[in-house]
Amino acid sequence: MGTNSTGMMMISSSLSTSSASTSTWASTTSVSASGKRIQREMAELNMDPPPNCSAGPKGDNLYHWVATIIGPSGTPYQGGIYFLDITFPSDYPFKPPKVVFKTRIYHCNVDSTGNVSLEILKDSWSPALTITKVLLAIRSIFTNPDPYNPLVSGIALLYMTDRAKHDELAAEWTLRFAK
Amino acid sequence: MLSEDANQSPRDWKNPPGESNPIASGQSQNDVFSPRFKSVAAMAGWDEEALLFATCVVDDTPDREFKHKKRSDFLFKTPPSNSRRKRRAHRRSPVSIPAAVLDLDDEETTNCETEKANAEPTTIVIEENKTGEDKLAEESSGFSSSSLPCMDKLREELSCAICLEICFEPSTTSCGHSFCRKCLRSAADKCGKRCPKCRQLISNGRSCTVNTVLWNTIQLLFPQEVEARKAAGALNSREAEHQSQVKEFNNLRNRRAQVLVSSSRDISARRIRAISSRQDEDAELHNNVRRSLRPSRVSSRDVGASSRGIPNQDEDAALALRLQREEFMEAFRGTDEQSSRSLSSARANLRAMASRAMNLRVRARHM
Repeated sequence: MGTNSTGMMMISSSLSTSSASTSTWASTTSVSASGKRIQREMAELNMDPPPNCSAGPKGDNLYHWVATIIGPSGTPYQGGIYFLDITFPSDYPFKPPKVVFKTRIYHCNVDSTGNVSLEILKDSWSPALTITKVLLAIRSIFTNPDPYNPLVSGIALLYMTDRAKHDELAAEWTLRFAK
Repeated sequence: MLSEDANQSPRDWKNPPGESNPIASGQSQNDVFSPRFKSVAAMAGWDEEALLFATCVVDDTPDREFKHKKRSDFLFKTPPSNSRRKRRAHRRSPVSIPAAVLDLDDEETTNCETEKANAEPTTIVIEENKTGEDKLAEESSGFSSSSLPCMDKLREELSCAICLEICFEPSTTSCGHSFCRKCLRSAADKCGKRCPKCRQLISNGRSCTVNTVLWNTIQLLFPQEVEARKAAGALNSREAEHQSQVKEFNNLRNRRAQVLVSSSRDISARRIRAISSRQDEDAELHNNVRRSLRPSRVSSRDVGASSRGIPNQDEDAALALRLQREEFMEAFRGTDEQSSRSLSSARANLRAMASRAMNLRVRARHM
């Protein structure tokens, strides 16, 4: 009885994978591993989404996601909705995803094209990190900008010298671009 | 203890209060199994294996009734009673205890079986056998992963942080974090020799050893996931093998075709040479011999050569076709054998599980 069911399982799984992988023989193993992991993350995000964040595939492509972060209250970004593009590499958990802001933001760690300077998205990426953790890290730079590793040095300078002016400008940008 | 109550309630309902003593039987069960064993058994979802064991015993022994009586008496040390129903209830109870979730099906079968026991005692064993098999099928199809409230936490705890699935052949780093062996190796290859969880340097990133205890625990707790992953792994390797076979076959075919072409070229060249030399001979001959015979001889020889040449090429083609066909057959036979091999290995695994369950049961009985 047990053997029967395992046999059936094997047959069904072989059918499904063979239909999916006949076109690309060579690249199946690595791509399917990353795809599996991304699907797992998606399921986890749906089950237990992080506060004020959401993320999911843009269309049919599992490797292109769009995410939103709501500006945390108590910051000049409060109430803004920020869209981000996430692109997963084919060897995903071992290489970091690319995260780009699609909404303009006045922030010393985000440049005008939307690139984010976040250490965990570069050298200190770890395969144990997930998109949920990345989104939480991005949310944390909303509340605590890192002016010592700036991408826009002017904003960083203003942040350190005239915090009130910085916050005012940031709130203005939030109102203009993120609402 | 919830499950015991659930199991006892139908008995209470069936039996008049004076006839049997359910509390005593519950007490005796408590004495026989240590609470630790019970919790472990429940955690491992062993009722499946216990059932397997029960069916094995039933299959192996011709005098079933006798064996069962002996076993139940030995197991529970209850005061001897002449109530058949009570004995039956005892016999069934070890099978249904480890499930922590209230199982309505089980109750129902117990009820109807006790009724049947009154009517015709000979059918009992068959009935039990059948329900055992039913239950086994039911559990193997949709395994009771939700049978324990802590199962979700366990799943989370025993998942690999890299692939986010249940650890497959877990390997533990020197800093104490466990990942799938494959995942850890890829991480060490692609992301440097640091623990993915705590970023500590790990020296043995390349020579990962499987944490045996953890791996066995995972196999006990999540047999279905492990089996699925194994099947997927076997499938991948088989696909890779098949791929290489196809490549090899293509190479072989190309090479053979080249050989065939060149050889046929050689043959024809030789033939032409032969013909020309013969023609030379003929030329010499024809100086000496009468002219009248010559044209007919040459034409007949030419016809002979050409008629010899064409069937030869046909034979070559036929040979090539046959070789191709044979190779195809071999390739297909190979995959068939592999699939049957993996099936038989799955069967062997199940058998091993059954025997392990038997051993554990025997040991528990002597505890």
